[in-house]
Amino acid sequence: MNGLIQLLNNSGLPQEMVIKATFYPIACLILVFALLVVMSRNIFHSALYLAFVLIGVACVYLYLDAEFLAIVQVLIYVGAIVTLFIFTIMLTADINTGSLGGMMRRMLVSAFATLAILFILIRVIARTGWQKAAQNVPAISLEGLGKSIMSKYVLPFEVISLISLAAIVGAIVIGKGQKR
Amino acid sequence: MMPQSHFLILGAGLFAIGIFGILTRRNAIGLLMSIELILNAANINLITFNKFLGSPDGLGQIFALFVIAIAAASAVVGLGLVIAVYRNAKTILVNKLDLMKW
Repeated sequence: MNGLIQLLNNSGLPQEMVIKATFYPIACLILVFALLVVMSRNIFHSALYLAFVLIGVACVYLYLDAEFLAIVQVLIYVGAIVTLFIFTIMLTADINTGSLGGMMRRMLVSAFATLAILFILIRVIARTGWQKAAQNVPAISLEGLGKSIMSKYVLPFEVISLISLAAIVGAIVIGKGQKR
Repeated sequence: MMPQSHFLILGAGLFAIGIFGILTRRNAIGLLMSIELILNAANINLITFNKFLGSPDGLGQIFALFVIAIAAASAVVGLGLVIAVYRNAKTILVNKLDLMKW
């Protein structure tokens, strides 16, 4: 974001306005594509819409001073996970049987439950007096993030690497199948 | 800068859409996609609080990083299971999968 802000400062446009004018369309696009992910009948299209959602979320991370996470999001989610989804969709049939086509009643009940959850969440968010940091804390740099992971939070980091290893081995064992 | 609540509402919307997907999807891969949406909503909230409450060692961002790693692991194992189930049952529609019922 810092480089982006510098670019904006040099261009002479009002910075605040540009940030607002780009954030809200991106947020709307994320929600629209997320709806398409869950509503689309063709599961392959869902996977492509999911990639758009994930890229949009990476853009939102940029507004929150988390450049490293934005890069990780694009690399891991869009690069690896969506590719895995598409591989699995291609390896299994049933492409056009995504959502509950005929079961209108269950769809309506689900929509009602979802809207109730959304209503409660938005009401809670709107009513809470969110406190801000006492003084403006500067955004953490990539260097600080790396130092923090490797010193204070090194134990969870190692546990995560163990989980990744277990997931790799487990996926191979599950996917390999029996010998005939 | 935008107020904190707008980011939180975006996260809440994404979460609700993910829940809707889990409730209505029939395809096991669609369920996994909805779970990814929910995990992304959680990440947006974590990073929002990290920015607005200010953490000197970036705890929110590190936690979000761990969530991404867990999401990747769960997607890998989940998709492996989907392929294994498809090989045995020739379907991945969760309402037709009753192998473990008797």
